[in-house]
Amino acid sequence: MTTQAARATDGLRITGLVKRFGDRTVVDDLDLTVHPGELVSLLGPSGCGKTTTLRMVAGFLAADGGSIEIEGKDVVGLPPERRPSAMVFQNYALWPHMTVFKNVAYPLRLRRLPKHEVTDRVEHVLGLVNLLHHRDSRPATISGGEQQRAALARALVQEPQLLLLDEPLSNLDAKLRVKVREDIRELQQRLGITTVLVTHDQDEALSMSDRIAVMNGGRIEQVSAPDELYTDPRTEFVAGFVGQLNSLPGRLVGGRLVPEEGLLTGVRPEDVRLIPVDEPGASAAGHAPQDRLRGRVVRVVPRGAFHELVVEVEDRTLHSLAVGQSLPVGQEVYVDLARPLLFRDGRRLQER
Amino acid sequence: MALPPIVLILVFVGLPIVTALLYSLGHTGGLNSVTATIAQHQHVATSWWGTLDAYREVLTNARLQRDLALTVTVTVVSTVAVMLVAFGIALYQRLSDSRLAKALAVLAIVPMFIPVVIGSWAILLFYSGTGFVRTALAQIGVEGPVWAYTQTAIIIGSVWTSLPFAVLMISSGVQAVPDAVIEASRDAGASLARTVWSVILPMATVPVIIAATFTAIGVLGSFTVPYFTGPNAPTMLGVDINNYFSSFNQPQQSVVMAFVVFALASVIGAAYVWANFRTAAKAVR
Repeated sequence: MTTQAARATDGLRITGLVKRFGDRTVVDDLDLTVHPGELVSLLGPSGCGKTTTLRMVAGFLAADGGSIEIEGKDVVGLPPERRPSAMVFQNYALWPHMTVFKNVAYPLRLRRLPKHEVTDRVEHVLGLVNLLHHRDSRPATISGGEQQRAALARALVQEPQLLLLDEPLSNLDAKLRVKVREDIRELQQRLGITTVLVTHDQDEALSMSDRIAVMNGGRIEQVSAPDELYTDPRTEFVAGFVGQLNSLPGRLVGGRLVPEEGLLTGVRPEDVRLIPVDEPGASAAGHAPQDRLRGRVVRVVPRGAFHELVVEVEDRTLHSLAVGQSLPVGQEVYVDLARPLLFRDGRRLQER
Repeated sequence: MALPPIVLILVFVGLPIVTALLYSLGHTGGLNSVTATIAQHQHVATSWWGTLDAYREVLTNARLQRDLALTVTVTVVSTVAVMLVAFGIALYQRLSDSRLAKALAVLAIVPMFIPVVIGSWAILLFYSGTGFVRTALAQIGVEGPVWAYTQTAIIIGSVWTSLPFAVLMISSGVQAVPDAVIEASRDAGASLARTVWSVILPMATVPVIIAATFTAIGVLGSFTVPYFTGPNAPTMLGVDINNYFSSFNQPQQSVVMAFVVFALASVIGAAYVWANFRTAAKAVR
């Protein structure tokens, strides 16, 4: 793809972005492309630089290096009010002295649009987020989920070229979070808005994103589709951050772990199979008993549709998932590990 | 539990107000009898409720009318000036992390620790005929203004004394406006000036109103600043009250003037009560 072609199709292009606070480099030479109509999540732990990156894209923070292009136009030197982006803030940031209607109408009034056009557009977007019945309510009198939808409406009414979502669901309760994230995703896909979502919640990222950029220490470790990120992580950090991972030092040879310097085997809980030692035929399945890991169930955590079993194997703890009948605490088990992920110095080796 | 403070207020605030009101209406007996014995030119009640002659005399007196006008003018101008300066400092402090912003905020509080008498004398000397301003300007061949003993000096003094509280009050309100709502306004396309006007100022309305009412009431009843820095005539009602009470030995007229000031302060106080109700309503919500 030529540069010119890339410019024509790219929604957002971040190249070599750097941000330092004093001696600390918070965002370190970050590159990211978000295609038009795509929703990309920046996922990472606190302090990884995801919000700083988003705030630089929005214009609230000045970058120390690199470029940010929205629809082919470099916006690094522009103040937030002149960037073609709109942001939904973590705590909604609705103006408490204005009604929902006035909050949503504010960006349009700044553009001095005719009154009837303002009314039409605000009512249309309030309809999109199902808030027409609250058009004259003050933010303090509506629920958290409704406030979030009002904040989304305020961003959407601007018809931005880029929608920025800064942990927009973190203040909602678990049930409402699922509902609102589905609403946001449905709207984003229907309107085809290029979107960047910042979150530390992997469920949120996995369920909403076309692609996820996992950040760590100011850098992007991997950008992949949600499924690929889970099944094919390129680093130990990504494997551990997205989903649960049992980390075991060494390499799996036959059914046992063989220690090896710098090498680490990761196994997902669903790939940890537990077979009670007293089960008929247990010793016949898989490897010979002396070549198998053996452990004891120390805790059973009900997780609704399944159980999470904590197993003590030699001097370490493994997590396993069991659907249906669970094993009792204290049960002696053989532990079979499937689909191991092998890492050397934190980076994934393609061999199993 | 609340009885002792209520009794204290009734005895030390309520009772003097009632006796003063009765005296202003010409009731010269009872607790007012000692004052009435030595007072000059007083109006005595002609009916059971009293007489308004003392009010009529004060309010139709051309000199006192000028003084009332000056009092209102100084109050309005000083309050507006204090609000503008205090809001400006609070805003600068809110939007900037610079040392200048911090220094300015600290400097604005300094008058709080300087007695008003000292401050008044300083202002007088600073702006007098042989003061710092004229001396400094004379060095470059410019004839500076003489503001000592003028209305301008009263306003400068009033701003000096009122600024610290106003800065503290308004700063607390402006600081309480979250970053996110300011950023949301910028993100929506508003300039900084528009953000201040449409978001920060409305969200800091209550502390601004409270600061304005306290400033206005303080300036309205001020004595030290106009006494030291202002002209002999016209002067502010605070000085008139003192003159009529001690120099002219006409306590009834000074009590009437006090009630006029009280009436004006009540109007301003209504704004304070409204602001407090608004805060309470928000707290309940």
